[in-house]
Amino acid sequence: YVYSRPPPWSDTLPTIFVITPTYTRPVQKAELTRLANTFLHVQNLHWVVVEDSPRRTNLVSNLLEKAGLNFTHLNVETPKSLKLGVTWIPSHTPRGTLQRNLGLHWLRDSFSNTAPPEGVVYFADDDNTYSLELFEEMRYTRRVSVWPVAFVGGLRYESPKVSPAGKVVGWKTVFDPNRPFAIDMAGFAISIKLILEKPHASFKLEGVKGGYQETSLLKDLVTMDGLEPKAANCTKVLVWHTRTERPTLVNEGKRGFTDPRVEV
Amino acid sequence: NEELWVQSVLEMPKRRDILAIVLIVLPWTLLITVWHQSTIAPLLAVHKDDGGDSQRDLAAGLDSKEYCLSDRDIVEVVRTEYVYTRPPPWSDTLPTIHVVTPTYSRPVQKAELTRLANTLLHVPNLHWILVEDSQRRTPLITRLLRDTGLNYTHLNVETPRNYKLRGDMRDPRIPRGTMQRNLALRWLRETFNKNNSQPGIVYFADDDNTYSLELFEEMRSTRKVSVWPVAFVGGLRYEAPKVNAAGKVYGWKTVFDPHRPFAIDMAGFAVNLRLILQRSQAYFKLRGVKGGYQESSLLRELVTLSDLEPKAANCTKILVWHTRTEKPVLVNEGKKGFTDPNVEI
Repeated sequence: YVYSRPPPWSDTLPTIFVITPTYTRPVQKAELTRLANTFLHVQNLHWVVVEDSPRRTNLVSNLLEKAGLNFTHLNVETPKSLKLGVTWIPSHTPRGTLQRNLGLHWLRDSFSNTAPPEGVVYFADDDNTYSLELFEEMRYTRRVSVWPVAFVGGLRYESPKVSPAGKVVGWKTVFDPNRPFAIDMAGFAISIKLILEKPHASFKLEGVKGGYQETSLLKDLVTMDGLEPKAANCTKVLVWHTRTERPTLVNEGKRGFTDPRVEV
Repeated sequence: NEELWVQSVLEMPKRRDILAIVLIVLPWTLLITVWHQSTIAPLLAVHKDDGGDSQRDLAAGLDSKEYCLSDRDIVEVVRTEYVYTRPPPWSDTLPTIHVVTPTYSRPVQKAELTRLANTLLHVPNLHWILVEDSQRRTPLITRLLRDTGLNYTHLNVETPRNYKLRGDMRDPRIPRGTMQRNLALRWLRETFNKNNSQPGIVYFADDDNTYSLELFEEMRSTRKVSVWPVAFVGGLRYEAPKVNAAGKVYGWKTVFDPHRPFAIDMAGFAVNLRLILQRSQAYFKLRGVKGGYQESSLLRELVTLSDLEPKAANCTKILVWHTRTEKPVLVNEGKKGFTDPNVEI
């Protein structure tokens, strides 16, 4: 017996398209490695990795080839003006927006609205932590499904408010709970069919207030009462918005101590 | 006229001959195919191993067919079957990798252990020894371990409060995780008999680091102590052992105290279980250990520099990263807490 990963593709299971924006920094390879190790357990997963770079880098190309996952490798560079741009408070930098939109664009280019594949789109940042259960929860999404996310909004977790009838009626957050969709990027998934039906729905790039990025996309796709609550009616935490510390590289000094040809 | 007649006779039978050939050959090819399949399939059915209840059998890459055992001669066939289970099927020939992970309660604990488990679930013959820094084994860990399906041992020992490192203060007393790692060493020595022990490797894996799958295969062939580079330690992109042309470790490529006997991070070495069992008094030193010397405190009792086995392409590849996770901001919980404390994170 030879252990095979990922699990064999199934003709009957809906595909999970995971869109991950990523950018070069010391911990990038580590983040993508442990993310890949998680995705390698999920059946019918297609990883769309979008680099924030002028060219697709060797580091990411090689990693994707070696991992064995079903993948698409894209890139688009965020213009410097946008990076610093309108709101120059770091927390409001629309990081990843252009990349996620490119991912959506690729989906719309690759699949036709007349014969949409069964599946969902999920935006997975490269530093978060995902349980395997999460992917099975999102797999059968009819329009947009939602669930709690840990470590966002200054809380242990944020979560949709679900009525006894199983409908989303609000948001359990401290920060701006009156946003149309007070939910983190990692807290929802959209059916492919819906993405293809609404070809103009994208993340807004400019003039987006902090915390409203998700709303800028979802408002064109669904209304609150159309949301499907998952994770036991939004009572379980299956995804954590972890962040990785920047490593101290002070001993590299001015000219560098380690061999720059050794990939980290 | 004779020639014409001969020619037409030669041409006509062409179609007939082809038909005849087809009608003769076809049944034989069908017969051979069926005969071939029926001799092979029973062999596969007999060899199919269930692999135990603890595995998640998502899908096998082979259709299961029912065949009657034939009484023909058995033909030796080796057929590779690609199977995904979580974890992979246990093998009788691979040395076991005992991964020792000390852990402690804090908000990101479950997340860290979840993603670590997702990595470990790909490694065959892995035994996870999770040691909590706590008075009692917690329900969170108990449930998590059970739900992963991994082969595991769940231990706990509480570091006395005076000595626990608070925050990032380099307090030269008991470094974090020491008592827990030592407990795991003691458990291994109590569980395995040095005379008839199954081959094994011991690796200390902290719960916030990042491990490639390749790393585990590199360490599996450890005879005494093997070493490799580690990223993001010692204020560098990576620290690495110095390896000479003969493939022997002769020093350490570090900026911080390269003259330590073993200037290597906890995640940068693995020890053969046999050695752990032989040197039964070798433990991590508890008190009076200078910063950066914890690894040396154990390794100097096990091995000398020249005995070290360099892995990862003679220590030129990075297969493990000393990542650290930020403490999440929970300011909006306020004094009384906003979220439901019964919801586990």
